[in-house]
Amino acid sequence: MDVVNQLRRQFVDYYTSLHREGFVDDQFTQLQKLQDENSPDFVVEVASLFFEDCEKLINNMARALEQQQRVDFKQVDASVHQLKGSSSSIGAMRVKNVCIAFRSFCEAQNREGCLRCLQQVTHEYSLLKNKLQTLFRLEQQILAVGGSIPVVE
Amino acid sequence: MAPSENLAPAGRANTGNGGGAPNGVEKQQRCQFNEVVLRNRLTALLVDGNRFCRTIEQGLLRAYGVETLAVDNGRAAVELIASGVKFNLIVIDMLLPILNGLEATRQIRAMGVRCKMLGVTACSYEREREAFLAAGVDVFIEKPLSPEILVPILRELDGQ
Repeated sequence: MDVVNQLRRQFVDYYTSLHREGFVDDQFTQLQKLQDENSPDFVVEVASLFFEDCEKLINNMARALEQQQRVDFKQVDASVHQLKGSSSSIGAMRVKNVCIAFRSFCEAQNREGCLRCLQQVTHEYSLLKNKLQTLFRLEQQILAVGGSIPVVE
Repeated sequence: MAPSENLAPAGRANTGNGGGAPNGVEKQQRCQFNEVVLRNRLTALLVDGNRFCRTIEQGLLRAYGVETLAVDNGRAAVELIASGVKFNLIVIDMLLPILNGLEATRQIRAMGVRCKMLGVTACSYEREREAFLAAGVDVFIEKPLSPEILVPILRELDGQ
């Protein structure tokens, strides 16, 4: 019982820190509520989809920005737009915020600005992926010792 | 395991909060979706080119018991409506492949369809908002589609 409570406390603290540090926002909390006995892996599954989506979009942006002379900013913007949509839908606040700045650079057709944003978005995505994987590992540990995952507001 | 788009079964809002042995806080949280009980069977069409966003939005709509169909481009949405299928609600993104959301909305409205249309998009510039409203959506929503925004709309459609 003590092990379960310790793990649950660890989960709550880690989850709270993700919010406090701006990695996730309330949208992520809403998604937790969609997870139940009918869809027990909903959050892990949508997170996997999100990571796949992110990687694909970041690669698209990188390819489009590689062109030194004639960058297709509309194409870059389309990928940034998609990433903004999916990051806001999962509650990935820091990724979403980079996308907002990124769109402005696309609009201004500023390749240097776009490249900086690409670097930032790649960094934020990697950080978030690690954080969520840690969170999901904590969930598995709780379930493995017979506990239930706390729902944190 | 490959995630599926059909993650949330329909009608969850009208069932009990399920088995298991959740503690008091967890039971309360799961009941939040059940608190929005729809008296009528509502249907929604979701139009979004991004598979991830479709999964999230479909999950949310189904959590409230809304029977939801999803397509990934504007042309498919227009063809579906033109074939006579009726929905209480259409949730449509602005940037769509094949036929964009603005044109798809105009064509749907030109068919005389008067159901509630939500333009749910990652676009946030004022000019984009004005364009989408001018095309015929009733509400412009910057993603994400959240319960705070969705619940009053569903209650209104349900006549509550």
